[in-house]
Amino acid sequence: MNTQRVWFAFFIVLALTLNFGFFIGEIDNPLHHNSYELFLTLVVSLIATVLKVGDRSHMGAVLLATSLVADLQLIMAATIWGYSSEVTGHVSPAVMASIVSLAGGAMLANLTSVVLLLSETIQLKR
Amino acid sequence: MLEGDQYWAHSKSEPIWLLLVQLRSPLIALIVTYSISILGLVLIPGETDLGSPYYLSFLDAFYAVSYTAMTVGFGEIPYPFNQSQRLWMLLVMYSTVIAWLYAIGSILSVFSDPAFHRIRSQNRSISQVRSHNEPFWILCGFDDTGFQLIQFLDQAKIRCVVVDEDPERIDCARLINLSYEPAVFLSDPSEPQILVDSGVSRPHCCGVLALTGRDQINLMIATNARVLSPRLSVYSRSNTDFSTRNLRSFGTEVVIDPNRAIVHRLVQMIRRPNTYALHNELIDPDFNQLSVHQLSDLGHWIICASGRFSELVVEAFVREGIPLCLVSREPPEDPSVCDWVEGVGTEAITLREAGILNATGVIAGTTDDGDNLSILLTALEEKPALFSVARRNRSSSELVFRHGQFNEILREDRVIAQEMFARIQTPLLNQFLGHLEAMPDSLVFDIIGKMSHRRSVEQSELDHFALVLTAAQAPGVVELLQKEATIKLGDLLIDPLREQPLLPAICLLIARLNADVIPIPGDELDLVLGDQLLLWGEAEALNRIKFFIGRPDLFEANIKESDPLL
Repeated sequence: MNTQRVWFAFFIVLALTLNFGFFIGEIDNPLHHNSYELFLTLVVSLIATVLKVGDRSHMGAVLLATSLVADLQLIMAATIWGYSSEVTGHVSPAVMASIVSLAGGAMLANLTSVVLLLSETIQLKR
Repeated sequence: MLEGDQYWAHSKSEPIWLLLVQLRSPLIALIVTYSISILGLVLIPGETDLGSPYYLSFLDAFYAVSYTAMTVGFGEIPYPFNQSQRLWMLLVMYSTVIAWLYAIGSILSVFSDPAFHRIRSQNRSISQVRSHNEPFWILCGFDDTGFQLIQFLDQAKIRCVVVDEDPERIDCARLINLSYEPAVFLSDPSEPQILVDSGVSRPHCCGVLALTGRDQINLMIATNARVLSPRLSVYSRSNTDFSTRNLRSFGTEVVIDPNRAIVHRLVQMIRRPNTYALHNELIDPDFNQLSVHQLSDLGHWIICASGRFSELVVEAFVREGIPLCLVSREPPEDPSVCDWVEGVGTEAITLREAGILNATGVIAGTTDDGDNLSILLTALEEKPALFSVARRNRSSSELVFRHGQFNEILREDRVIAQEMFARIQTPLLNQFLGHLEAMPDSLVFDIIGKMSHRRSVEQSELDHFALVLTAAQAPGVVELLQKEATIKLGDLLIDPLREQPLLPAICLLIARLNADVIPIPGDELDLVLGDQLLLWGEAEALNRIKFFIGRPDLFEANIKESDPLL
């Protein structure tokens, strides 16, 4: 058993599940989306990215790319949320919708990572 | 197997990725401490200045943690913290600052790692080589010889890539004053990978120069280069006949054995002084004078030498019938061929025993510079009129030898560099030097006489250049030739300023497209399109010729003015 693989799989799947939890609900209703969940998703996703830094294999490079995409989307979502709640003082349904849709995009990137990880694992079994 | 460029990318990216791996744990430590700190600040209830409950937003918390971690410390904002928040902030301060120290420490240790530096400079050199878009040579082994040769090549605008395993020599290659910055590789040149890195398979690579002092390494460089890129020229240095034969057996273009080359020059100097003078002027880009040694045939030569050099000298001198007396610690292989005196030659008594008073000259050819100096100083004390030949082994002793007022100094490194440079620079010169070997000395004497007759100032610098009669190189000549006019070789030498009847220059060789090769052509020879000329003369005169053949209008006017019949 490769400890590094376990950690990476753990963090990437955790990022996906947390993101899913955040994403689910009415897209423009702030009550359905928890800010702590977004925060944790971002942290877990960043850790997953760092775990792939310096991986020279082809799969490692692709996983690094997908998790970087997820980070970028999540940071954008968090920035918009922070800006609208702190600077304009009010999170409108339209802003909430864009935050959630950005997180949804990040979830797609996380999903890609997990699918890649699974496909690699299945190939190894053969 | 990996294709060329893929291979490059692979070897290039590898070290950087390995170093990034080292940054993983500090980055994770930073992320974890930051996130826990932020989360704590967000969750712990605070109070506004009016006492109502207040929760920090993520933005505030991130801000507070950031300035705390960076030890900036802006204070407790937006409201003064309560005790539970302060308790948490204590934790935040210590943990984040420690995490940063750890991260910065790791980054610094990565950057100060010598392996990282080596890899970085290696990568820089690799990309430098990849971006080369002009011809270059790979110079393996950067001792005195390489140092000399890279300077010669720079004068001819030919670039080099340097490979050596000694960090000091590599530093020297970095610091040397050239018109370009050479790519340098600190590595064992006998490794095939380093040849690939230094560009052996790049289209602009002309060849490989194996100049290390060790035969086995030179041999490996030559074989590696031959296999990796068969189209390349491979020039190698060799210290033994065995190694020379070995190198030649797989088609190494040029093999220079410094000892044999020096002995050959000694014999040439004694038997054919004019040829020696011309050869010396042509082959060395820094030596631009003709100095013919007039040696008397009466006396014998005292040779202080040891080892292989003494064997080669004795063999060559006996073959040429030059009388000699060998001074060495060990007797010659066949004691009957020449006189032998036991000793080093540094003491007057040994030299007297060798008959110094009747000698023409003395050759101090040991492998120790101190001994050589001592031999010559003692010998000149005994007989000031002696012709003194010094062998200078290390370039660091150059200064003393140059001030020693010796008649001739043989420098092993310089001889190798000269021989290789003459073959790299222009094929025409190499061809002429081949003809020069076979020319009788009297003919060379005539050439030198002709040159000094044309020269007004004896001390001016001599130079040579190769010229091809094509529209690109000599538009003046070519345009006139296309008009069906006849141009004689002498027409090139008409002085546009009319200061001299003919410019002080001589054409040494013409190689024609129809494969005719004419050494020392007469001035009446008609020029033909595509002729390759090797012109030799005063640098100033050659510059005038270069200028005029490039200007069709001026060239034609110049010829017509001097010859109204044309």
